[in-house]
Amino acid sequence: MRGPRAWLAALAVAALAAVPLVTSGTYYAYLGVIVFIYSIVAIGLNILAGYAGQFSLGHAALMAMGAYTTALLTKALATIPVFAETGLHIWLGVACGTVVAALSGVVLAVPALRVRGPYLAMVTIAFGWVIWKILQEWVSVTGGDLGISSVPKPQIGSLRLDTREFYYIVFALFVASLALQQRLIASQFGLRLRAVKHSEIALASVGIDVYRLKVIVFVISAAFAGFGGALFAHQQNYINPDNFQFFSSVFFLLAVLFGGAGTMLGPVVGAAVLTLLPEMLHDFDKYRLIVYACLVLLTLYYLPNGVMGLVTSSRKSRAPGHEQPELLNDGAVTSLPVNSGVSLRVERVSRSFGGLAALSDVSFHIEPGSIHALIGPNGAGKTTLINIISGTYRANSGRIIVDGVDAGIGSMHEAARQGIVRTFQTLKLFGDMTVIEHVLIGLARHSRGGVWHTAIKSLRARGEAARRLAEARNLLRVLGIAHLENMPANALAYGHRRLVEIARALAVRPRILLLDEPAAGLVGEEIRALAVVIRKLREIGMTILLVEHHMELVLNVSDRITVLDHGAVIADGLPSDIRRDQRVIAAYLGPSHAAA
Amino acid sequence: MYFFLQITLSGIATGAIYGLIAVGYSLTFMTTKVLNFALGMWVMLGGMLTYSLHVEYGLNPLFVLPIVTLVLFALGVVAERFSVFPFLRAGSDVWVMSTLAVGFLMIDLAEIIWGRNPTPVPPFIGKDAIYIGQVSILPQQLLIILVACVMFLALDVFYRRTLLGKAFRAVAHSGDVSGLMGINTRRIQALSYAMASALAGIAGFLVVPLTLAEPQMGTVLGLKAFAIAIIAGLAAPRGILICGLMYGAFEALVSGYLYTGIRDILGFSLMILALFLKPEGVFGRRQEERV
Amino acid sequence: MAEGGGEVNTFNSTEVNMSDKTFVSQIAAAAAAVIFAAMGSAQAQEPIKIGFAGALSGPASFVGIEIKRGSEIAIDEINAKGGIKGRKLVLVARDDEHNPVKTVAQYRELVEREKVVGIVGATNSASMLAVAPIVNDTLKVPVICPATDATEITENDAKKNGRDNYLFRVGMYGTGQANFMVDTMTKKFGHKKIGLLTWTGGWGVTGRGELQRRLKENGLSPVTDETFDNNDTDMTPQVIKLQNAGAQSILNYALVRENTFVVKTKEKLKDGTPYVSAWGIAGPAFWKAAGDAAEGVLTSTTVTIDGPQSPERMAFINEYQRRYNEGMSAAVFAVGAYDAIYLFKTSMERNGLEPKQIRDGLEKIPEFNGLVKHFKRPVFTRDRHNAVTEEDMIMTRWTNGKLLEVKFDSKGPYVEIDAKTKKYIDKATMKLL
Repeated sequence: MRGPRAWLAALAVAALAAVPLVTSGTYYAYLGVIVFIYSIVAIGLNILAGYAGQFSLGHAALMAMGAYTTALLTKALATIPVFAETGLHIWLGVACGTVVAALSGVVLAVPALRVRGPYLAMVTIAFGWVIWKILQEWVSVTGGDLGISSVPKPQIGSLRLDTREFYYIVFALFVASLALQQRLIASQFGLRLRAVKHSEIALASVGIDVYRLKVIVFVISAAFAGFGGALFAHQQNYINPDNFQFFSSVFFLLAVLFGGAGTMLGPVVGAAVLTLLPEMLHDFDKYRLIVYACLVLLTLYYLPNGVMGLVTSSRKSRAPGHEQPELLNDGAVTSLPVNSGVSLRVERVSRSFGGLAALSDVSFHIEPGSIHALIGPNGAGKTTLINIISGTYRANSGRIIVDGVDAGIGSMHEAARQGIVRTFQTLKLFGDMTVIEHVLIGLARHSRGGVWHTAIKSLRARGEAARRLAEARNLLRVLGIAHLENMPANALAYGHRRLVEIARALAVRPRILLLDEPAAGLVGEEIRALAVVIRKLREIGMTILLVEHHMELVLNVSDRITVLDHGAVIADGLPSDIRRDQRVIAAYLGPSHAAA
Repeated sequence: MYFFLQITLSGIATGAIYGLIAVGYSLTFMTTKVLNFALGMWVMLGGMLTYSLHVEYGLNPLFVLPIVTLVLFALGVVAERFSVFPFLRAGSDVWVMSTLAVGFLMIDLAEIIWGRNPTPVPPFIGKDAIYIGQVSILPQQLLIILVACVMFLALDVFYRRTLLGKAFRAVAHSGDVSGLMGINTRRIQALSYAMASALAGIAGFLVVPLTLAEPQMGTVLGLKAFAIAIIAGLAAPRGILICGLMYGAFEALVSGYLYTGIRDILGFSLMILALFLKPEGVFGRRQEERV
Repeated sequence: MAEGGGEVNTFNSTEVNMSDKTFVSQIAAAAAAVIFAAMGSAQAQEPIKIGFAGALSGPASFVGIEIKRGSEIAIDEINAKGGIKGRKLVLVARDDEHNPVKTVAQYRELVEREKVVGIVGATNSASMLAVAPIVNDTLKVPVICPATDATEITENDAKKNGRDNYLFRVGMYGTGQANFMVDTMTKKFGHKKIGLLTWTGGWGVTGRGELQRRLKENGLSPVTDETFDNNDTDMTPQVIKLQNAGAQSILNYALVRENTFVVKTKEKLKDGTPYVSAWGIAGPAFWKAAGDAAEGVLTSTTVTIDGPQSPERMAFINEYQRRYNEGMSAAVFAVGAYDAIYLFKTSMERNGLEPKQIRDGLEKIPEFNGLVKHFKRPVFTRDRHNAVTEEDMIMTRWTNGKLLEVKFDSKGPYVEIDAKTKKYIDKATMKLL
């Protein structure tokens, strides 16, 4: 960080650090501590809901796990002299609270993340409700509705911190949390996490176990909540279930949305405004909630991306007009690593949907390093077959043999990990993420981009990042879209988006590339360029299965063609044979048509 | 046996209330994938209006019902236009918050208009319990069970037999395609929201003699109803009634044979388990993502 | 930051430094002015401020509003008579939304910025438990609670460690109320088969524990121990279980709405078991919500404004009606707050205006004619910060829309319908004879 932003950040830190110095008493310091703690929880929720797009309305319960764990533990340990003198029990408690919340996050995430949207919201609400009820009912441990009082005060060594002193500790932890968020989002892991929000299926197509990823993100988010909760317990010296109700969860989500979901400072702004605003509305007692609700509505209405969304959106670059892809650079293509394309055999695959057979007993073979086209009229079952090969659907019967071995593919990410990578007929890009980021996500699997790895940015990781970036840029150059590197994908022209999809798939270094109607929506020059790309990929040894309607492209590039109609193979052979096959002409183009 | 029958029947009566509200979630979800998260507050509004018209102005319930339905329907149109549609159009998820914010606004306005103290509304049809053998039930409870069943039958007919209902299902299936088919998708989205609001109003009208009129009366009812809509599957209106009745009975049986304190813990945990095993809802049909 | 500043010093003339200093000193002067202004507001001839933070919005706001109104009436009376030592009293009220986090913030604000010298307690036991350590350790301003009944509010760490305890109470306290309820039913009404029916949330959980404890101390155990949730509208399973267990009376902890559903369910099931509730329903709101179904329900409380009243209390009731144009919805809180203000006044006049002096003074008031009761003994002592003890609590019976005190004579329990009419109560059914 350089330039005006660094100065602004330094200024903000200095101003916040001065709060206890320039104010008397503990009121402002206390509000500051609460805002920081709420911000920490909101940052965690922002990572989950803002960046990864998984709404949770149960975060208050995770906060409670942290708070109650540390409260119970430190109260028990406080009587032991070793701890009472060193204050270690406080920080041990905070650590344990964080861990317990993270573990509860696992318990919640495993069922919750199997479902999406409102179902996910309900599971998190239910979890929050269950925890809240347990806190109320398990009186012997939690103290029931009256909660736990005399939670030990924060202490360092033998020094007991008052609110003004604790302010600095929490402030530092808050800044650390912000930095951690920044690091996490900027990392390889962060790329995947942001992609989840836009398309889970596309993320799976580059070999990432989306469910596992979501669970990990949830656990990270839960850890933030638990950490905040633990700090909260020590600040308050008293906790009860009231603090962790459903409406507290709503508060945190509101803070994230209000401040700007998926922005670095959004959750902080949200938590600060929503905490401090009511303090300033003393004179509106009766109408306070109305003012509050109206404010939220107006914000959502006029600032759909939150307060910070306003700041970031003004910086976004505009899209250039529709441009032809640059002509391909031969040197660039050969700079791609040599690919050992493998054979693929589809063996007696059948699949039906609700009694309707989409594929019946389909078999064919693709030679390694060849371009194999799969054609047929609409509804012939081409996409279904691609879906089965790529692990999106399961076949009712039959096998997919990759390189002579039954691949036993159960899911998309498994298929991708075996080198079977696909593109999508209807584009599935990651929203406003940039072109280069799409490719980097594809590359992600080849690097150790795990959470721990990126949290500690080692020199090696730095070198790896540079290597990845070079590889990604090379890929973009091959496809002639290098100049669009930093454009958000959703701002691109249609033809460019197609190429981004292909680039993303290539980044996985597929052994078999499944192209599902790559020419759909492209115009003349673009299609010719696409043909060049496909041929070049064969040159470096890749096996390609091409599903396509555009006959010219198919006949131009394919080594062999399989024709499907009504879910069955009706012809299989060289392009020249297929061109003349009467059955194909009849089925595909109608009896009265001649071949294209 | 008396004990079992009596508590099961009371539970079913409560369950009918849940079912009646829960179907509102399904209505909007089917067409727009949007949920009015504050549906409980709309139930409250229906209840408070009923209180004003029936108790304060002495209007016959038969006149109160159409007024409440119309008012809530109209408010639903307005609320959809200003708190859902702008976000829906922008493809944003923040309707989650905007519907909640509208709900909070309604609670606050209700507190200002009607005050916060719970006030009774006399039952519409008779105060004395009806006895079926030894088992007793209040006429109002019986009325709710009946209305709930009729309402669900009517909805079934609506979805399957009427042109509008078929259009609803078409929009539910694919908004874009049905737009091409000449269905006014936009109008149906607004209509479904307004219908859900009106249904919530009717639920409020029916429930208020049992619950007391107060600004908080709908909050938890709305949440439980949401849980039931989710368990059954938002796209399965028939299942919602069955789930509602069963959940009501389940609650009463847990209170009766176990202990009320663990009722919600057990209920919500079971819900999470049910979703884990069948993510699309117990009565929902699995939909594979189209690629 | 520091580096940049260093560069400026090295390369630029002293003029820049001068202007820098001027700027800094201007800020300092401005800050000082603000601080002095804030301090000035607490100086002599300024009004004496009493604080209150409690729920003024949301479902619990009826409690907060009663406390606020009771305090206002007392303060206006005192000011009309010349204030305290020539200074006027003012109430600074805050809405904590029933949220302990906000209560804590507002207590700090009230004491540090508004410089209140005393506080009328909050509406939520959890709020009071949350502020207790700060009040005793940091703020050191006396608090008198008219509403919150958790025992630990006054029996807090400061008291246990022998330090000055700044929390006082003129309302009910949990342990005492449970003792009173159980003892009245077992000893005065002679019931031995007691059933419990408590709310699963809020104070119901702690109330349940207290009732169980007291029954055990009396050598009894509940014949059945039922609970309900605060959104239940039908209590059929619980009521039938209580019937089947043969309970002679049912003891309850809950608030108005839940109790309404209990008595309505009892009515539906034609259940006549005597029903005894803690003070959550000791106000007209209960009769308004439950109607005739509430007839015969017993409630323990500190004050009832129905039936024969002392002249002071009558005056207060009339004043309340005149000012707010409605009756009290929960008299105990308004009356308690009124007494809290007068207790502050008495202590200030006897002992001084500093918070510490007021606190000490509260422990030394030998006699006090309050609305809650005419205390003919010290209201508080160093060890007893609950003004109302078990002996001061009263049992009341909902009788035709009025909450009448149940009194006992040689012929048994009775209520006074009016000054002349005495009606005896049947101990087994609680019906009027």
